[in-house]
Amino acid sequence: MAGKKFDVSGIMQSKVTWAVIAEALILLVCFIIRPDFFSISYQPSTGMLYGSLIDIVNRSAEITIISMGMTLVIALGGTDLSVGALVAVAGAIALKFLRWDVLTYTTPGDYTVYPYILVIAVPLIVCALMGLFNGFLVAKGGIQPIIATLILMVCGRGVAQILTDGKQFTTGYSPFRVIGQGSFLCLPMPIVITIIVVIAVALFTRKTAFGAFVESVGVNPSASRLSGIKAGNVILIVFMITGLLSGIAGLIYSSRIMSNDSNNAGLNFEMDAILAVVIGGTNMAGGKFSLTGTIVGSLIIRTIVTFVYYFGIVAEATMAFKALIIAVVIVLQSEPVRRYFAKRAALRQGGARA
Amino acid sequence: MKKLLLLALALVLAVCVSAASAKDVVIAFSQIGQESDWRTANTDDLRSAIENHAGWKLVYDDGQQKQENQIKALRNFITQNVDYILFTGVVSTGWDEVLKEVNEAEIPLLLIDRIPDCADKIDYVAAFGGDFVEEGRRQVAWAGEYLKKAGRGDEDVNIVIMEGTTGASAQTGRTEGNLKALKEYPHLKLVGQQSGNFTRAEGQAVMESWLKSIDKIDVLIAQNDDMALGAIDAIKAAGKVPGKDIIIVGCDSVKAAFDAIVAGEMNCTVECTPLYGAFVVPTIEALERGEKFDKTVVHPEEGVFDVDGGIDLGTVKSVKAADVISQRRY
Repeated sequence: MAGKKFDVSGIMQSKVTWAVIAEALILLVCFIIRPDFFSISYQPSTGMLYGSLIDIVNRSAEITIISMGMTLVIALGGTDLSVGALVAVAGAIALKFLRWDVLTYTTPGDYTVYPYILVIAVPLIVCALMGLFNGFLVAKGGIQPIIATLILMVCGRGVAQILTDGKQFTTGYSPFRVIGQGSFLCLPMPIVITIIVVIAVALFTRKTAFGAFVESVGVNPSASRLSGIKAGNVILIVFMITGLLSGIAGLIYSSRIMSNDSNNAGLNFEMDAILAVVIGGTNMAGGKFSLTGTIVGSLIIRTIVTFVYYFGIVAEATMAFKALIIAVVIVLQSEPVRRYFAKRAALRQGGARA
Repeated sequence: MKKLLLLALALVLAVCVSAASAKDVVIAFSQIGQESDWRTANTDDLRSAIENHAGWKLVYDDGQQKQENQIKALRNFITQNVDYILFTGVVSTGWDEVLKEVNEAEIPLLLIDRIPDCADKIDYVAAFGGDFVEEGRRQVAWAGEYLKKAGRGDEDVNIVIMEGTTGASAQTGRTEGNLKALKEYPHLKLVGQQSGNFTRAEGQAVMESWLKSIDKIDVLIAQNDDMALGAIDAIKAAGKVPGKDIIIVGCDSVKAAFDAIVAGEMNCTVECTPLYGAFVVPTIEALERGEKFDKTVVHPEEGVFDVDGGIDLGTVKSVKAADVISQRRY
């Protein structure tokens, strides 16, 4: 028979497949318990689509955006622990420009003290520079990424607190509200921003040679250097992108609550982002990466949280419940399990053909 | 040269230490961090009360929500041999070891706001804190009495409880109070109970899910105002009117909650005052005079604030929020 044959065995070997299966299973359980979990309606008062599935995608925006950068960092064989702290920094800077001094401008309202462009641009620039700082330590200083990014992870929140005098600023500025609570074409704005970010990162890595450079440096930096890739620059760019994306996530987070929350904003986001990447099938040792897998990973994490809220799992059991599901997902993706199913699939395919 | 520098440094240090120990009463304060407006007001009030007191010196440590940071800070205080330790623990368990060390160093311990689980096993001078169980009781009792007043006393009403960080003493206490009071109002039916972790973002996400999974929610009891404020956004996004379609009762009484009550988006907030300076300073003064305390518990006076005022909760009568909003300091 001519033509491309459908390679079931190969698909069963892919970690992304298992991530999709895991997500589908969790959603199936939701559907069995409460079919209306899947209902989506139009909410005229906000002009947005309304439903639990929308919530999952909407609330996963921050992690999805950050983990786009984290995927690249992990493909380089590193990790970025500072992303959560940068989320807090971005929020603090934005609110600082919106309110500046709460003793002078005492009540939050529909105003901004400094022009809106600064509220948006400065946090993004600062976060990109902080990412660049991480990259510089790794590329030029030869420091291990986990150590290099630990610096900003620890002091980032401190910076955020200093910026707002340890206070939680609140704002009512409506253009700022649009980022986290607005809508475009009936979709919540965070989803729209996520789609734009995902497309941008995908185009940048897959339509240019940059993605191949990242994988190459991740597998073997010396060999890549000998073949003419400037490994240092690749590292700098990847960390800068991750910083910038953390900044975008920070703006979304603080716009959702219309305030900065230097202690809780982005708390443990680095762990969720790493988890999303790992569930998505990218190897922690570096090399090949999958952006699609990462998106599925991020959705799995948020689906679990929404599941807990929706079905009223008691607060005390929440953590254990999350851990249990993630453990199952990771085991499903482990080498022996995948190989077993791939072998079975190959046997069945072979049997059918014979 | 290096040796000379070191010697000079040591001398300067020695002079500093002796200067401090010669006259100043050194009071160390291990605070959780800056989790909310309430915490900020708590920190500011205690700091200014101690720093502005003649002859007192404050050593302040911000734990940034991490127990290990606070344990480190407490051990530092012991090494520095401070005169008093003020302490608020980020969680209620796991302090046995370090607080015993404080006892062994014979430094008087004053517990602020949160009382750790090991309180029976350690010595402390006094504990300052809101009565969390009473606050929880007031939240539900307010909703019950308010509904009676509105002529809905016999109607079956669905109530949801948004809890704080699991394991924090404010959460355990308020939940106990909430559930106890629910028994006195049998027509209030508990249909949801979940942790919103005391933050706005999680309050928003939890409410968002509840609005889809629970058919009818009439009353939201949020164990702090931040979660209530987050929930308000979620209620609006669902096309419902906060404060009318869903009655919202918060706790803490931060300024933003007063603004929301005056704007009609929230119904009530039960006070949990952060202003302990006025209670802590006299206690330390008395200790300095040599008076003896033994595990004295001090509950500051607290109110209940709502839209119209005048709802009788037995121990306290609610006050109209709009009348007192200008006097609020946090």
